[in-house]
Amino acid sequence: MRELIDLIYFLFPLFIATTVPLSIVALGGLFSERSGVVNIALEGIMIMGGFIGIIAMRALIENTELNLQIIAFIGLFTGATFGMLYALAHAFASITMKSNQIISATALNMFAPAMSVFIARTFWNTSNLNLMGNYTISKVPILGDIPIVGQLFFTNAYLSTYIGIIIFIVATAVLYKTRLGLRIRSCGENPHAADSLGVNIYRVRYIGVLISGALAGMGGVIFVLSFATRFSGSVAGFGFLALAVLIFGQWHPKKIIFAALFFATMRVIADTYSVIPGLNMIVMPREIYRMLPYIATLVVLSFASKRSRAPRAVGEPYDPSKR
Amino acid sequence: MAFVIEMLNITKEFPGIKANDDVTLQLKQGEIHALLGENGAGKSTLMSVLFGLYQPEQGIIKVRDKEVVIKNPNDANDLGIGMVHQHFKLVHNFTVTENIVLGYEDTKKGFLQLDNARKRIKELSEQYKLRVDPDALIENISVGQQQRVEILKMLYRDSEILIFDEPTAVLTPQEIQELMKIMKRLVSEGKSIILITHKLNEIKAIADRCTILRKGKYIDTVEVKSTSNEVLAEKMVGRKISFGVEKTPAKPKETILKVEEVSITDYITQKIVVKNVCFEVKRGEILTIAGIEGNGQTELIHGITGLKPLTKGKVILKEQDITALSIRQKSLSGISHIPEDRQKHGLVLEYSLENNLILQNYFTTQFQNRGFFKFDNIRDHAEKLIERFDIRSGKGPLSQVRSMSGGNQQKAIVGREIDRNNDLLIAVQPTRGLDVGAIEFIHKQLIQERDQGKAVLLISLELDEVMNLSDRILVMYEGEIVGEFDPQKTTENELGLYMSGSKRGKQQ
Amino acid sequence: MKLKTLGSQIVKKVAERPSTISVSASVLAIIAGLFVGFIVMLIINPGQAFAGLRSILFGPFSDMEGGRSLGNTIYYAVPIILTGLSVAFAFRTGLFNIGATGQLTIGAFVAVYIGVNWAFLGPLHWIVAVLGGMLAGAFWGSIPGILKAYRNVHEVVSSIMLNYIAMYTVTMLIKQTIFNATSARALAPETTARLPQWFLGDVFPRSSINIGIFIAMILVVITHIILNKTTFGYELKSVGFNRDASQYAGMSEKRNIILAMAISGGIAGVAGAVMFLVTGRFMSIENHLMAEGFTGIAISLLGLSSPIGVFLAGLFYGALEIGGFYLQRTTNFVPQIIEIIIAVIIYFSALSLFLQKFVANFLSKRLKKEVQISEGSDVL
Repeated sequence: MRELIDLIYFLFPLFIATTVPLSIVALGGLFSERSGVVNIALEGIMIMGGFIGIIAMRALIENTELNLQIIAFIGLFTGATFGMLYALAHAFASITMKSNQIISATALNMFAPAMSVFIARTFWNTSNLNLMGNYTISKVPILGDIPIVGQLFFTNAYLSTYIGIIIFIVATAVLYKTRLGLRIRSCGENPHAADSLGVNIYRVRYIGVLISGALAGMGGVIFVLSFATRFSGSVAGFGFLALAVLIFGQWHPKKIIFAALFFATMRVIADTYSVIPGLNMIVMPREIYRMLPYIATLVVLSFASKRSRAPRAVGEPYDPSKR
Repeated sequence: MAFVIEMLNITKEFPGIKANDDVTLQLKQGEIHALLGENGAGKSTLMSVLFGLYQPEQGIIKVRDKEVVIKNPNDANDLGIGMVHQHFKLVHNFTVTENIVLGYEDTKKGFLQLDNARKRIKELSEQYKLRVDPDALIENISVGQQQRVEILKMLYRDSEILIFDEPTAVLTPQEIQELMKIMKRLVSEGKSIILITHKLNEIKAIADRCTILRKGKYIDTVEVKSTSNEVLAEKMVGRKISFGVEKTPAKPKETILKVEEVSITDYITQKIVVKNVCFEVKRGEILTIAGIEGNGQTELIHGITGLKPLTKGKVILKEQDITALSIRQKSLSGISHIPEDRQKHGLVLEYSLENNLILQNYFTTQFQNRGFFKFDNIRDHAEKLIERFDIRSGKGPLSQVRSMSGGNQQKAIVGREIDRNNDLLIAVQPTRGLDVGAIEFIHKQLIQERDQGKAVLLISLELDEVMNLSDRILVMYEGEIVGEFDPQKTTENELGLYMSGSKRGKQQ
Repeated sequence: MKLKTLGSQIVKKVAERPSTISVSASVLAIIAGLFVGFIVMLIINPGQAFAGLRSILFGPFSDMEGGRSLGNTIYYAVPIILTGLSVAFAFRTGLFNIGATGQLTIGAFVAVYIGVNWAFLGPLHWIVAVLGGMLAGAFWGSIPGILKAYRNVHEVVSSIMLNYIAMYTVTMLIKQTIFNATSARALAPETTARLPQWFLGDVFPRSSINIGIFIAMILVVITHIILNKTTFGYELKSVGFNRDASQYAGMSEKRNIILAMAISGGIAGVAGAVMFLVTGRFMSIENHLMAEGFTGIAISLLGLSSPIGVFLAGLFYGALEIGGFYLQRTTNFVPQIIEIIIAVIIYFSALSLFLQKFVANFLSKRLKKEVQISEGSDVL
């Protein structure tokens, strides 16, 4: 029994650390796609946001005496800002220039790792940027003392976990309860309807893509904070995994969270199955667990796409003359 | 009499075409003003200018005697101008309320306030007897109701000037009656209406005055009461047109196509869309299936040609059971098919004209040898059809079909299908969206085919066309054949009653 | 005067051809990419920026006497020509094969597996290995085809998933079958399985060039013929442009979609085989998607999705790659600048519609001027 509890205490932080960036980035993708713009550039945006966020944090650590949590917060904010700026390139190509959204996103996905490695090697002579410090919050006052829940959620926790929860609540509220949300959804389903009612499609779609950029950029920083002590021009396919989460979650915030939980479970198992009692008896290569989320997404796609909940107008540049 | 809207000397050019050339339209307070013209006459452009979607190169717009500039639909909305578009602009998975408030939302501390809107929509709905449930999802309500949601959108925005763009195209006769009542009610409450249409009887039934456009030019504005249909039609087309089509009585011979108890169930909705349909088409006759859009005609033809599987029944062509054959085999056994949607089924828009003209027989030895094309033959074939069917385009056989006009695209299909010289010609709405010249041309071709001993199966929604071309008429309603008629002995009115399901008879 | 009129007529003829406009759009995208690369170099190290640009542009010709860099340019170009061809073929049939990298990975694994294990094949060894790679790629490519044809799953989404599935599958299979535990990577294929150099080794001494270039040329010609001269190509393109019309015309749209994806995947599989049936290159187990598949998208766009255009664009890429190599030698710049340039080129290719309009406008303005100059006095 004691062992089981220890195991849970061991696995739980990993589980959260995987779920949070996945769901934040997927929620970002949600805003872009619900507004009608396919965003397979999430991977590239995560890299760009993560890279610049880490640079900012390194600079702060070297030059200031700030509390690590404040530095982390600034890192997240910087990542979000630059993720948004980077996503602007995708928005410009796919909305203003009516380009093929997949091609534009592919360019973003190639540019970000190249640029970050280029800069890292040029200025620091290495493609791995180390990040010093332990960014967990050892214990949240009062809440951390609650038995079990306190230990699971409020000790050795990341700031990003709480930010993630706030983002989920705000994102859901924005999408379903506000004017912007109504307009975003209408642009993804039937932009001609929205246009005829004076909604500025281009503006709404820009907002959608920029939100996705901010969230993906922040997700990039969270990824580095929670998984690596260094940044090497990659987020290990997390952006594409988040895209799978978005699809598996059928473009719906709550389902996205469940999809992220499921994907995170698979990933945690893949990384730790050798130490989990029970699972270590079944000899299954870790690659199987790694690929399960993608296979699951394919299965869901092949059984749902006849009645897919994908926004109807997603991927089509808005052309007012086509009715 | 005061004008609420004056569009004076409007000119709007697109690359290579003057869509509106010095057009004037004046709308009186409280009238229903029809805007009449053929497809491509410039009606939609003019209304788009009024609605702020396009900026005119010349001309001014006055609203209640004040000159205004309308830069976008929001400006139009602020001036009290609203529009019911021909293709409804509704978000399918939004509720009625969400659709209506979109773009005009009421918020409190950033959050949507839908309750007030819902209340207001209920009130308006009762005031104008529109009977719409504010909480229904758009995808779950009928086309007629969807149109009333469009009307509610305008009323919700307190629009005083209402534009209806071809509003009856998708409605049943009953729904049309209902709509006309609603329009009269709107006018009696002080609204003014512009009705865009090319249907003369609608104008006669409801409009006060009528402005006629032709090829982008302003022709005339007339009082409807004192103007005959013939005069209106002549002004619209620019020459005298015969309402009838010249043809000799049919001389039907042996049966070519026999459809036996065909039923089709829709794969997605699981609805039965065609029920036990039986009929025959004979050599030397035009059999028309009339009906309102969406009563199973499309599915029936798809079933006969193989685009959709039959749930039950048989299709027999020249005494051979072709039910189980593939689309290609059916086509080769003697079916020419002018499809309903020329851009969806009939053409590959990215291909050149010559490549489209071989779409149904590119695989024959005329055009290929062991899989390699005989390009000379393809070119010859194209040039032959272009000449015979007068297909006009920029670069002849090499024109990209996308760049061709609708009429010439349709001529290409008609030419291709007729040239295949099959015993059965199926033509589904062959004249939809075409101008009068192209319509006449295609009608002549169909009659010529009949006279040369082909069996012609025509699907049409236009009663004029049904009455003029047919040798026999079947009416289809909710997937069933509800009556058979001799065009000499029936009237449009009688057909209308059957088409709307208010009367039904046994098939003879 | 007459000569001038004739000249302007020729200019006009050339300018009016749609291909002129799209080719100039490609050239503009390349210029934009190089320009951004140059600016980046200028910011980092203004003193070396020009030298850097020179290395990038003239890398392939930098040691002409041996022809080594020219040979290596071709060596690097071949896999990219093939992935570019793979993407282009799919493009022409209306499909977006973003899964070339996955097909390439699977193809590479099967090729290397055969290369390691089937030495008994003797002189046929490398041929069988390449064919094995092709079949494996075709199989992997047909999966998104089948999913699209029968389940209506968009090929881009399924291909992205399949890229990762391929990556993990291959890592797993390498570990289980052809693992070199000491260096933690795949075993090298037997020498009989490596692509021969034939006379190319003499023409381009000391370079890594092999007959992969001939394989690429053959596939370029075959795809060109299929797409432009055959009923099969006509069907593939019809289905790509308009599924409904193809169905109406009695084509089997499902079969064609699957075939198109399988062919595209097969070409990517060959790319994988060509990449790894060589000396000194090993498949890794590091779980990285191979960039060649994505670069293929750029090459396909630059080549305007025509097989011959792809061939030229692929050579250009090979030159850039060698340029990057010399860049490192002659200046302090990091070779990632090449990837930056490629990414910018893709981005501008995405804007190609805009670029084409830009070129078209530019040409028509020029023409008006020319026509006015040459004909103005006569006609007006």
